[in-house]
Amino acid sequence: MSTFLLILVTGVGLGALYFLVASGLSLIYGLMGVLNFAHGSFLTIGAFSGLWISTKVFPNPTTWTFLASMLAGGIVAGLFALLMEQLVINRLYNRHIDQALVTVGVSLVVTALLGGWFGFDARFLPTPLWFMKAVTIGDAIIPIDRFIYIAVAAILLIAMLSILRFTRIGLIIRAGVENRSMVSALGINVRLAFSTVFFIGGFAAGVGGVLISVFSYGVSPLMGGSWLIYGFIVVVVGGMGSIAGSAIAAMLIGITNQFANYYVTGLGDFVVVIILAAVLLTKPTGLLGKVSH
Amino acid sequence: MLRWKYSRPLLIAITVIFAILPFAGDNPLSKAGLQQTMAVAFLFGALALTYDLLFGFTGLLSFGHALYFASGMYVTAILINDFNVHFLLAIVGAIFFTSLLAALTGGAALRTSGITFAMVTLAFGQAGHVVVARDFGGFTNGDDGLPVNPDRLPDFFIGVVNTKYLYLLALGVLVFIYFAAWWITESSAGRVFAALRDNEQRVSVLGLNPNRFKLLSFVLSAAMAALIGATMLIVSGSGSPRYAAADITIALLLMVILGGPITRWGAVLGGILYSVLSTRLNFISEGTALNSLPRFIGGPLAEPAFTLGLIFILIVMFAPGGISGAYYRARFKYLNKGK
Repeated sequence: MSTFLLILVTGVGLGALYFLVASGLSLIYGLMGVLNFAHGSFLTIGAFSGLWISTKVFPNPTTWTFLASMLAGGIVAGLFALLMEQLVINRLYNRHIDQALVTVGVSLVVTALLGGWFGFDARFLPTPLWFMKAVTIGDAIIPIDRFIYIAVAAILLIAMLSILRFTRIGLIIRAGVENRSMVSALGINVRLAFSTVFFIGGFAAGVGGVLISVFSYGVSPLMGGSWLIYGFIVVVVGGMGSIAGSAIAAMLIGITNQFANYYVTGLGDFVVVIILAAVLLTKPTGLLGKVSH
Repeated sequence: MLRWKYSRPLLIAITVIFAILPFAGDNPLSKAGLQQTMAVAFLFGALALTYDLLFGFTGLLSFGHALYFASGMYVTAILINDFNVHFLLAIVGAIFFTSLLAALTGGAALRTSGITFAMVTLAFGQAGHVVVARDFGGFTNGDDGLPVNPDRLPDFFIGVVNTKYLYLLALGVLVFIYFAAWWITESSAGRVFAALRDNEQRVSVLGLNPNRFKLLSFVLSAAMAALIGATMLIVSGSGSPRYAAADITIALLLMVILGGPITRWGAVLGGILYSVLSTRLNFISEGTALNSLPRFIGGPLAEPAFTLGLIFILIVMFAPGGISGAYYRARFKYLNKGK
């Protein structure tokens, strides 16, 4: 029972990290039809910004400096996403394949740039000491960092859902996901919604990058690539354009991954891929998909 | 595209020059190092062409092409090492197995289309990578790679002095794939592939089954990729999980875009250039002016991916059609100058 609980919480924590990567991907694809291969770079840029705050700006890690790291990671990654959208994506309006291709180029350049500056070895991101502790629930001993991932992801999930639900720009985004041409035809400026979605997606990925550096014990220019593939899988399983779908799929995949890995090491990755193929072949729009581009 | 009348002598001349150079006295290509680089580059040129058949000619954006390349490589190695099969027979077996694998996975993936198709193929490709890298079943030797037993290969493929024969083998495979792709794309099935890319609805209205032709294109390009994978095994001496990674498929996409899709020679040129640049940019940057630059400029410039990525972004944004596209535009302008 204690092992079961440990694996379950770890799976949910992993799912929380997947969600941070996938939510932005899902919104960007849902609204603009852009398959964003540069999303892994947002994550890496966020992680490096967080590393900079936690080592150079505030050398003594406390809870507050870690919060500052996450915030800085989110903001820098969000601004980078905005910059990319303005400089590159906007100029390829409605050329969806070219937009996807150009993001592949951006991800290559960012990885090489960071690798050239900082090298490809993983760097340790200092955390407050209490991150190393564990809590006891019943007879299960669970490392505390998992709860941090879950809490941060939950806060961002609520924030994103509230923005989508209660603000004007959120309304435009939701309408745009369902029918973008109609929204533009009504004279509403969709471009602003594009920029918002890129900033939000970059922000979530940047915060995720800082947390992933804690989870995988290091910051490296290559970290974005492998998490991006999981992000894609979560988005596709959850349904393009649906934040709630991404959240559910992220949990499903995180938990399944952990349980499969517990029984056979390495089986987790394989099972995740099988889930993806199964969902796509039975319901090509994903669990809660709204768009079918 | 390129007019047969002009292109045939030109392509034959280039091929013959490349075939003779390693044997023609003292020149850069008589060194084993560059021969090895070029052999790998020829194979990536051929692989890019098989990807172009899918992406450029048929309009299928697959992210799992590396699976079939790696399948050709690993099945050949396993048949040679574990089952003591003659290497030519092993290659035939690998092509057969890979075609079957492609028919199964492609058949499933083709129930979807567009970006979803790309994702399903990415998933199958990742599954293949996991199987190879984690060594399920104990055949692939995991992350360490799977060396092919050199005793079972002909002597003239073994050893540094014989690199020139590996070079010729790779060039031969490239020429074979080039003609196979030529034959396929100019056949009536090839016309249907192009029609599928341009207007799928119209193809089905004409009474042809789009999925059957897409699957044919998928399996043909996978079978050719398997042959190239088997050759890569002989050229590099061992299989490695990195050949099964999604990075390879993304590199293929870059090669095709760089050289220009739908022109055949564009994809080959893009593949060769990309492969040579990504191995040689490292050497060029070492010990030259780059070292005197400050690290924040020199560091990234020493990474081939930085330069290649920038070139790629610029091509997609400002010069769609890549190198061959630019050539045809220039030629079109020239031919129409007087009119």
